[in-house]
Amino acid sequence: MPIFEKSSESSVTRAIVSQFAKDMEGFADTDVIVIGGGPSGLMAARDLALKKVKVLVVERNNYLGGGFWIGGFLMNTVTIRAPAQKVLDELEVKYKMYEKGLYMTPGPLACSKLIASACEAGVSILNMTKFDDVVLREKNRVAGAVVNWTPVDALPRQITCVDPVALESKLVIDSTGHDAMVVKKLEERGLIKTPGFGAMWIEKSEDAVVEHTGFCHPGLIVTGMAVSTTFGLPRMGPTFGSMLLSGRKGAKVAYEHLKKH
Amino acid sequence: MSISRSTKKRLRAIEICASEDSSIRAFTKTKSYLESLFPKAEVVVKLSPLRNLPTGKIDKLSHDLASARVKDISSPIHSFEPMSGEVDYESRALKGEAKLGGVVYDGRMFEDILMRHFFRKRSVETASIVYTDRLVSTFSRDDLRHHLRTVVCGFPSIISVPGVVEAPAKPREYYVAKQMLGPEGTGGLRSERLKTLMKGKFIDYGDPRSSLVLQGLALQAVVHHITLEEFCPNPQCRLFNAHWQEDLIRTQVDSPQFCAEHEALLSDLSRDPLIKW
Repeated sequence: MPIFEKSSESSVTRAIVSQFAKDMEGFADTDVIVIGGGPSGLMAARDLALKKVKVLVVERNNYLGGGFWIGGFLMNTVTIRAPAQKVLDELEVKYKMYEKGLYMTPGPLACSKLIASACEAGVSILNMTKFDDVVLREKNRVAGAVVNWTPVDALPRQITCVDPVALESKLVIDSTGHDAMVVKKLEERGLIKTPGFGAMWIEKSEDAVVEHTGFCHPGLIVTGMAVSTTFGLPRMGPTFGSMLLSGRKGAKVAYEHLKKH
Repeated sequence: MSISRSTKKRLRAIEICASEDSSIRAFTKTKSYLESLFPKAEVVVKLSPLRNLPTGKIDKLSHDLASARVKDISSPIHSFEPMSGEVDYESRALKGEAKLGGVVYDGRMFEDILMRHFFRKRSVETASIVYTDRLVSTFSRDDLRHHLRTVVCGFPSIISVPGVVEAPAKPREYYVAKQMLGPEGTGGLRSERLKTLMKGKFIDYGDPRSSLVLQGLALQAVVHHITLEEFCPNPQCRLFNAHWQEDLIRTQVDSPQFCAEHEALLSDLSRDPLIKW
């Protein structure tokens, strides 16, 4: 007596393809596209989805979470400064206090819970997909993203005539970390000028990342370490608390904008 | 601002502007200290000029402040069009809706902005000092890079409250310990450990010693206003420009004395605060 019900290769293939086609049709026009599925991007997407906003996360890897899986030096413990531990409470992530105001939790636990929470909130995910370009509208407002399969980059040059596809949205959130890929694309087009100045040890860098989270260009919001790159903020110091709170603030800014427009 | 060499001008007033997030009361001791040194001048403390501004003023000022950001520490500041996000942040900060921190402003441009927007009509007989919760830097021709500053003497003079923590270098062992305590990813943890290890050896946020330092910096600004001379080269004098926390703590907190030359100068000025340009 077999354990599993009977199926076939063709049924499995049809199930995958039909769902993907249905999803992709929905992705063609969404409220918000979040580029980058790290902690700030997931947090932004989750909070928006909880408010019934149609949101898509575009992630170039086949896994979500970015650097949130591990702390520093390939060690699993991630640190979070108060008040960001309240987000861990919401995600039902257990943590320990290292000292007053500083909390520790295993990266795999926190990261997997954040991913699960985002998915359960209704966030759509398009992984193994790289951001290629922006969709621009009147007055150079960002109104979507042009994307392609990540593996296209790995193909030999002579067979890379693989055109990307464009996804429209009301807003785009750049959560691509230090790379700030969407912002840099605007810079390539001469629409924005980022400072690109590097590390400077300043105590308040986490606060600065959260405070600067928001619009950097019409239609484009930046969150997480992309904020640091975009605004030339000090890079050293941030633990993951600012990533979570920056994502939350990005969602708030996006939601308020969507309500107004 | 100019002054005729034939006209004797005297310091009539010292105007202290509290930092953005501070009350007037926080500068009571600084006021008393300056009154004791300059009994012939009226010392007044006001709220920050960067507070409670009308909307029209905020729009212009936020653009100017965003344009004063230091974007490349290795080159002098040049004019650029700020991003809408930068202007928006400055606007929110001026309205009290965003916390200040993490941004460095060019000290000379910041001075120019304050002068243009708020201090244009001040006479030379008033020394104006603006405390700020922003970080300021000036570009050094010696090593061709920007350096954070505690005080930028000028018209008005600017004293950076977070600059007291961030500008002077911490003890050498702090940086050695920082290297040994691990990678950047554990920055929060490392920062807290370092503070415990080096407790007392540098001024930290909320450190009660910072009020004495801020008084001394105000005096440096007033003496500059009167003499146009930059700091004292004597590392034991309270008018010394400390580049290390150790020097800052010694000259402003542990042993706030004056060198013989400045002792005599301050004695003269207490009787007759003649501006010596």
